[in-house]
Amino acid sequence: MAPSRGLARLLPRPAISNTGTYSRTMSFARRAYSSFAEQLANPANRVQSYISRSRDPFVNLSIEDYILRASPPDSTVLFLYTNRPCVVIGRNQNPWSEVNLGILQAATSRGTTAKETEPPAIGDVHLVRRRSGGGAVFHDEGNLNWSITCPRTEFTRDKHAEMVVRALRKIGIERARVNERHDIVLDQGHERHPSDPQDTHRTSYTVDEGGPRPLKVSGSAYKLTRGRALHHATTLLASPNLHVIPQYLHSPARKSIQAKGVESVSSPVANIGLDVEMFQKRLQEEFSGMYAHQGTTTTVQTVGEEHLKIPEIRKGYNELKTDDWMWSQTPQFNIAFEGPARSEIDINVHHGIIKTLETKGGSFPDDMLHELQTALVGQKLQDIGDWSQCLQSRIEPWHSDYGIIADRLETLLPVPQFERP
Amino acid sequence: MAARFSVARAARQLTSSAARPQAPRACPWQKASSQQPRLFTVSAQVKEKKYTEDHEWIEASADGKTFTLGISEYAAKALGDVVYVELPEVDLEVSSGEAIGAVESVKSASDILSPIGGTVTEVNDALQEKPGNLNKDPEGDSWIAKIAVTGEPEGKLMTKAEYTAFTEDA
Repeated sequence: MAPSRGLARLLPRPAISNTGTYSRTMSFARRAYSSFAEQLANPANRVQSYISRSRDPFVNLSIEDYILRASPPDSTVLFLYTNRPCVVIGRNQNPWSEVNLGILQAATSRGTTAKETEPPAIGDVHLVRRRSGGGAVFHDEGNLNWSITCPRTEFTRDKHAEMVVRALRKIGIERARVNERHDIVLDQGHERHPSDPQDTHRTSYTVDEGGPRPLKVSGSAYKLTRGRALHHATTLLASPNLHVIPQYLHSPARKSIQAKGVESVSSPVANIGLDVEMFQKRLQEEFSGMYAHQGTTTTVQTVGEEHLKIPEIRKGYNELKTDDWMWSQTPQFNIAFEGPARSEIDINVHHGIIKTLETKGGSFPDDMLHELQTALVGQKLQDIGDWSQCLQSRIEPWHSDYGIIADRLETLLPVPQFERP
Repeated sequence: MAARFSVARAARQLTSSAARPQAPRACPWQKASSQQPRLFTVSAQVKEKKYTEDHEWIEASADGKTFTLGISEYAAKALGDVVYVELPEVDLEVSSGEAIGAVESVKSASDILSPIGGTVTEVNDALQEKPGNLNKDPEGDSWIAKIAVTGEPEGKLMTKAEYTAFTEDA
């Protein structure tokens, strides 16, 4: 992994100051982030443990990606973090079909401030596209994210989900097991049957057919690089927002969109009902125990926003926040909806750009179709902003039928603008 | 640090100390680089199909000016069911060692690297429609991209026999 090569560049220059202008806090912060980079890349640290104090999903995912890329090739690293409310979609997902984009911005959209108190009433919810595969999930402060970076040769999709199940069972969550999708579920069987307590794929309450469906409490995704594998997962411990999660993950456009890429598999979810801090500690202990044969785990180091000073982390953070990554990374898709005069409007989008716009059936006039095509084909979705304003500024003379189409597009294909750093 | 990070496709993998330096990036193969293409003819060493330690294969065209890139059967098997292939855009310029796409299988994203620099001239669009074909014929019909070369390949390239030995050792 040649950490020494990269390290020299990412370490800050020593704080040389003979004028005494260097503040104490500044040099402390520098020490903190340089020591993180040093500790992480040190080949002697074969078992490492980190926790983030940041609640920013972009920061946490960027630190995690840095761990994947900068940790020694044979090391195993645990990283724990919780995010403020956000929806995180998989690398190859379609945000328009997976997420109810219209309710993400509680207080800012459409210039109203009243929505903050209306359901779902949890304020702004950020949208994030992660680098790993898999489906869409909702995060909040009651959800603990754990991630393990380990050598590819040691990696299996279940190995660390099993570790988490062992930690859960040790604190009395005996219904927890790993399912066939590599997720962690709580079995809901009514009767207790004998089972092997060491079997992390079966509990005393596992029901083979029929019976109550297990509830999902943790979902996994993976990113594989050359010699390394990242497994990260959610863990619903005490989310106050369970009742609104389906609202965020159910899009009004799902039935109108035919997309390439990865569709989420929706599952009923539950809270495990554990205190986040307590479970963090138990998980850190389970991890250290599991890898004790490989070496002593480093003292848990806290990381946070100050580590954006590490250029690689800042770069990853900036990339995650770009419109290109959020919107144009979306795999090719078609959206079809009812237009004026009983027509169906069919739009194809590839690399975030409208490639074709056609109508089917009905009696939609050719000249209007041509106006729409001229206005929209070649357009990058992420640059549209407001559909009505966009169309009105490009089509002359205006017709109320364009307004109908603009309203449909605003519902089905909105591009919410989040504040940028 | 050279703008290259490498990624493997298969589960069994060497942990060579010769691993490459890495650069984090979100989606590099959709951004054009500023490098100008140069005319180049690939040398004899890749006229025969060759394999990389990252489990890609490359094979030069008869005139040696372009080569076809794909992932090995071994890699395709190790990945499990492929559900999506991220293909590069035509005209993308790629440096050797850079990611030119990615594969998603069973919730896992894995990058596809090019062992050679050049300009993407063609991508296998059929994989957009049927990503699962990558599991069926990764070294034939399910090639990933064709690239007009602008340089010599970098890194270790192996013959079929050497590669087979390499995957058996891992």
